[in-house]
Parts: sequence; C-alpha cells; structure tokens
Amino acid sequence: MSQSPLKDIEASHNLPEARLYTAIVNSSDDAIIGKTVDGVIVSWNPAATRLYGYQPEEAVGQPMTMLCPADRAGEIRDILDKIGRGERVVHHETVRRRKDGSDVHVSVTVSPIRDEDGTLIGASSIARDVTEQKQARAAAELGRRAEALQRANGNLETFTYSVAHDLRAPLRALAGYSEALLEDCGDDLGADGRSYAERIQAASEQMAMLIDDLLQLSRVARAEMHLQPVDLGAEVARITEDLQRGGPDRRVRFAIQRPVQVLADRSLIRTVLENLVGNAWKFTARQDEALIEFGTVPAGEAGVCCYLRDDGAGFDQAYAGKLFAPFERLHSAGEYPGTGVGLASVKQIVERHGGRVWAEGAVDAGATFYFTLDAKETP
Amino acid sequence: MSSGQTILLVEDNPDDEALTLRALKKNKILNEVVVAHDGAEALEHLFPRGSAEVQLPGLILLDLKLPKVDGLEVLRRIRAERRTRFVPVVVLTSSKQQEDILDSYQNGANAYVRKPVNFTEFSSAVSTLGIFWLLLNEPPPRLHAPSD
Repeated sequence: MSQSPLKDIEASHNLPEARLYTAIVNSSDDAIIGKTVDGVIVSWNPAATRLYGYQPEEAVGQPMTMLCPADRAGEIRDILDKIGRGERVVHHETVRRRKDGSDVHVSVTVSPIRDEDGTLIGASSIARDVTEQKQARAAAELGRRAEALQRANGNLETFTYSVAHDLRAPLRALAGYSEALLEDCGDDLGADGRSYAERIQAASEQMAMLIDDLLQLSRVARAEMHLQPVDLGAEVARITEDLQRGGPDRRVRFAIQRPVQVLADRSLIRTVLENLVGNAWKFTARQDEALIEFGTVPAGEAGVCCYLRDDGAGFDQAYAGKLFAPFERLHSAGEYPGTGVGLASVKQIVERHGGRVWAEGAVDAGATFYFTLDAKETP
Repeated sequence: MSSGQTILLVEDNPDDEALTLRALKKNKILNEVVVAHDGAEALEHLFPRGSAEVQLPGLILLDLKLPKVDGLEVLRRIRAERRTRFVPVVVLTSSKQQEDILDSYQNGANAYVRKPVNFTEFSSAVSTLGIFWLLLNEPPPRLHAPSD
C-alpha cells in the first residue's frame, strides 16, 4: 500500500516530512543538538534547553565547547575527529557544564549527518542526563563496600576478642609453673636451672606486654572519635606530674607551654602525649639532669604544630623513618625497655586527626617529636 | 583462714584452675573450692534440678569466656534469681578490653579483676579477693527462700 509507516502518518495528517521530524525532535526527552563538522551548534531542541539551561537563541551559532568543562575541552575535538572519519560515538558517558556553571553527568551519542550525495555536512548529538543512574550505581557500590567493611570489622572484632582472652592464658601457665618450679623444686634445679626458669618467666611477661600493646594499637585504629576542645599543655603537665611522682629521685626540668587549645579526641590524644612524654622520660633516664619541653611552632597552613623535645639519648636520624613502624625499636630491650608500639600508636592517632608526625634527633643529642593537628587552635 | 563459706570457681582452663587453687592454698585461704568447668556446670551447681537445697557460695570467681554458657550469661542468671542476686561475683578473666569490663558491670558484677601473667601478682590478687570478700566484706542478711 504505502512505502513506510511514516508516509502513512504524513498522508493521514497532511504533514510534510520535515515538520514531522521537527515535532518528534521537539517532543524528545533527550537533548538533541545539530552541529556543523566544526562543532558549531545549528539546532537546539527544548530538551537541550531543559538539560543545559541555554535558550535556542543563546546556543545556536555557539561552539559545542561552551558545554564542556575546561578540563574536557579536548573531548569535543576527539569526537569531531571521529565524526570526520565517518564514525559514531555511542553512549559516551561524560560531564557537561550547564549555563549556571553546574556540571551534569550525561550519556552522549553522536552520529554523522550526510546529505543526499553522502557528503558529511554535520553531526547530531543526543544527550541524556544520567546523574541519577550514576548516583544509584555509586550508592550501590558504596553499599557493597560498606558491607565488606562491616564483615572485615566483624572478623577483626572476633580476632581481637580471641587475642584478649585466649592468648594470655598459656603465658600465665608458663609464668605460673616456672614460679612453682622455682618454689617447689628450686633446690634441685641448681643455679642454671633456676636461671632458665626465671628466663621463661621473663619471656612470658614480655609476650604479655606485646599482646597488650597489640591490642592498644588495634584500639587506637578502631576507637570512635569524639572531638572536643582539649588543652594539650594541661594534659602534658598532668602526665609529667605522674611521672615525677613515680620517679621522685629524677632531676628533670619541664618547660610546658599552656594553654595549647586544640580540637581532639581526649582519650586518644592523651595516648599520644603519654607515649611522647613517656619516651622523653625514659630516654633521659641515664643522665643526672634532663630538660623536657612541650610547645607549639608556627604551623604553615591552618592547624597547629606541636613539639615534644628532650635532651636525652636521641637517635640516629638515618633511622628516623623506622621510628613509627609497629614493633620497630632503635634501642635494645636491655638498654631501654619497650615493645615498639608506642610511636606506632602515636602515628595512627595523629593521622586519624588529619595530622602528621615526624621526628628529629641525633645520637646523645636528644630528640624532638613534631605533630600537627588538623583542627584549628582556638583562642 | 576459713569462714565456712565455699568459693565457686568458674574456670575452663585447667592451668588457670591449678594456679588459682595453688594461689589460694599458698595464701592460707582454706575455704572449700567448688570448680565448675563451664557456664552450664556453674548454673547446675547454683540452680540444681529438683528441690535439692544447695548452700550458696560466699564468693563466685567467674571467667568470661567459657564453653557452653558464657560468663556474662551466668552472671545475668545469677542476678535475675531472687535467691542468688546478692552473691558476690568477681569477674576474673584475661581481658581488660573496655567492652568486657563495661558488660560485666552492666550485668551486675561486684568487681572485675584481670588475671596477671606474673604468678606473684596473680597470687596476691587471688589472696586479696579472698580476704576481702570472705572476711572483710559484710554479706547481706540471708534471704528467705521463695515460698513458691
């Protein structure tokens, strides 16, 4: 009967073909833009106005690049090159800029337009807002990650519980029976035997300390943070008083800047200061007099930069990077006791507060530990 | 030292059991010690089936991580029953995790003591607990058994 359904519509409604196409384009939900091979806009449908915010008279005659964020200007060139080679760009997901400056995620299909002779005369660009799909995909991805994270967290909690409850019991048996051996059979053991039993005891206690420190490290990584104003100077002063009470014979001078107001999690930041001040106290133990200082230095950007300085044993700057790794120690356990977890905890906590920590020192010339906190110093 | 009251030791680890008994003996705490090796055994001892009258312990030393019924559940049951709700319960365990301590107090523990690894410290802790709860502390007056 007729050549095509389109001809039917034309015939029944007496519409010329061009008007019919215009009607279809105008009623489309997708932005349909016609452009020259050089990328100059020649037609602009109502959906394009809704998507990009430009009226047809504002858009027609302008280059396509006006819809492009500056960092994607090259994209338009690439698309036009493809069109020039007679290729299509199908469902290309990208970002375009609206008249009001906001960005919109779109999926674009660009096809060449040819005249009756097959000569390339321009291109049609059909764009669809995919912000919602994109958000839905991102939300789904986020959900999957949260689930995985929750699983990992659950496993970690089970692990921590087991470490806290099960790992110490065998150590109590080792230490306890060694002690029983010494008490009940000490005379039969001889000097060597007694010394071995004592070593078993000491090793059990050392391992118990390691387990506790491991648990502490895991706590500082997982603990929920509650930021509140804290005077770091006052905290340092309190810690030094405790240390002084524990070692009344030590001659240590303290120079503590007060107040040093920051926003921090009180319990966690206290762990930082206890470790740093405790280290300063420990590594000045072999000298008659010592000086331990706490204060702030001008911080480059916003935030606060604190330091804790001592004039004690110090360390070789070449190993400064190792200081903050868990279970790394620069001194033997015989020289200075410890497990090498304190500074690893310090690093964890400072980084959780958005800051960083570093150290400067020299052998027998003291050490200075610096840390920054993201939160601004409040007057 | 013996005040005639028994101690119920709820402990699944045989080494910890032996060390605790050794510590009690060393410190001349001669009260009878009943050992329950898991939570279910502890509950059976405290709440025997049938009408058997059981003498309540003067002190319960309770581990948290136990087979079958865990320590917190044992504690909840003890506090839920009128007959046992005032029996002193000391949680004696390995952990010093904040959650464990908080959970224990929330469920009505009278004290929370972490077992030290060093035996001298462990022994002194057990002795202090025995002396305090069995001798120094004044227990609540005996309640009448419920008449149901």
